[in-house]
Amino acid sequence: MIRNISILTLNDLAITIKNKTILLVFFIPLFVFVTLKLVDSKPAVPEKVKIGLIKNEIYDQKVLTSIKSAPGAFAVSDIADLEEGKELIKEKKIDALLLKSEVLIVLKRQSITTLTVLESFQALQKAVEGRNVNWISKVESLIVADVQKQSLPIWILMLVLLVSFVIMPSQVAEEKEKKLLVSLLQTPMKEIEWLLSKVLVCMILICVSLVFLHMISDMKIGFNIHYILFLIIGSFCFSAYGVLLGFLCRNQATARTLGVIFYLPHLLPAALSEYSAKLSSVAPLVPSFQFIESVKKIIFEQSTISQLSFELTYLAAIGLLAVGLSYYLLKRRWLM
Amino acid sequence: MIEIENLTKVYKENRGLFPTSFKVNKAELVAIVGHNGAGKSTLLKILSSSLLPDSGKVTIDGVDLSSRLELVKKIAFVSETPNLYDFFSVEYNLKLFAKLFNLPHSRVEETMNNFNLSNFKKTKVLNLSKGLKQRVSIGRALLPDPPVIFFDEPTSGLDFEMTKEVFRLLKEFHAAGKTILFTTHRPEEIRNLATRILVLHKGKMVFDGTPDDYFKSSLHSELY
Repeated sequence: MIRNISILTLNDLAITIKNKTILLVFFIPLFVFVTLKLVDSKPAVPEKVKIGLIKNEIYDQKVLTSIKSAPGAFAVSDIADLEEGKELIKEKKIDALLLKSEVLIVLKRQSITTLTVLESFQALQKAVEGRNVNWISKVESLIVADVQKQSLPIWILMLVLLVSFVIMPSQVAEEKEKKLLVSLLQTPMKEIEWLLSKVLVCMILICVSLVFLHMISDMKIGFNIHYILFLIIGSFCFSAYGVLLGFLCRNQATARTLGVIFYLPHLLPAALSEYSAKLSSVAPLVPSFQFIESVKKIIFEQSTISQLSFELTYLAAIGLLAVGLSYYLLKRRWLM
Repeated sequence: MIEIENLTKVYKENRGLFPTSFKVNKAELVAIVGHNGAGKSTLLKILSSSLLPDSGKVTIDGVDLSSRLELVKKIAFVSETPNLYDFFSVEYNLKLFAKLFNLPHSRVEETMNNFNLSNFKKTKVLNLSKGLKQRVSIGRALLPDPPVIFFDEPTSGLDFEMTKEVFRLLKEFHAAGKTILFTTHRPEEIRNLATRILVLHKGKMVFDGTPDDYFKSSLHSELY
């Protein structure tokens, strides 16, 4: 009995090596290690609070002098007007904008940055006046959304990546493994038709899952054509990417492994970038970051497609590149 | 009908098909014989456009191998394993391919009748025996009624009765004027079937002649 169990165990191990599942065993710890290296070891709080002050605004002299006399805690930027200040907050060039009526404008109320800004003000006031009452009377957030809605972009990204990188590569590889693609190539079907049908079916699956997500959740986005168009372009990019991953594999098991290997690095840096300065510098390289950031801008800042032309072009280019590569491999009858 | 000139495909392990040339005339029934790894399947895969050759020239009924969209109207390729959509019915599998060939639905009905599949039209392929699956696979390949048919190990894994059934079909197609190339590693089986035998050994063609000549030659006893 033990002998047979040993034989079968060894056989299963050989299969995991052969179908490359073993890669996951090494890849996941390696990925965690690299990600931890990229995540700041200290909490992602700014060393200095970057505060914006509007040029012609009349501030409380005591507050103004205190801020300017604490260069170790505050980096002051002079801002022309309120609109410019809001733009700089959105671009994350300043952490907060102070108005004369002790109103502080921040990007998101529930964020580590906002907490740091308020703590810094409290500490400064205590040092100047010895009191523990905050100079800030009101905090206004540029992003007005509940926590559920704020998590929406992450769920969207998860769904898009799940369909593209886990479901689709497996389906494409299955057609190769079972020689169904070879049969289809015995018909007058053009290679590009097969390829585009795969991209299209993946886009449909993504769209159905997103519509379902919006229907069952209570997150009201309303009819926003910019949002819909962006999701379509995003789903095209990742669908084409997923089809390419599937095409690189000979069988379903390999495709699943490769899908997970690509899924995590696309999900985590994009989702965690705001918690780490290092990650936020690396994350823009992955298309999922461009996707999730744009979705956030459309949902929370009412950005339009024209304002997101770079991100849109980037995603469309990645999608087209993936289609081009898949087409080349299909023409070469890669691993068929 | 089929002209092959210096067709070559070499894999990493120095296996494959080394420069091979031959011609097949219309309505010949040619058996390509050889051991596993002799290059039989490589040859058929190249002829059916599912593998690209390293070099060489192939024309089938005047159409070059590179013109796949033209070529698929001339050839049918039946692979060793019936590659069908398992979760769908026999009829669905045939209809899908008929649509891709732009054939009318009547052709699907006709094929099901010709191959005795009408009783299984709504049965999922998953639930069919291997022999029936092979019959569906042949029926599907022959939907457009092409003049040339390639069979890769058509009797592999089939029992005696099913093997006889496949050979009966091959004879029928041949009698209908089709040009047929099929591979086998069991030459004894096709003694009374093929009109011509090509023997491949380690990627090279070592015999081209009639079955009688082949079985009289010392080559058969050397190889088998």
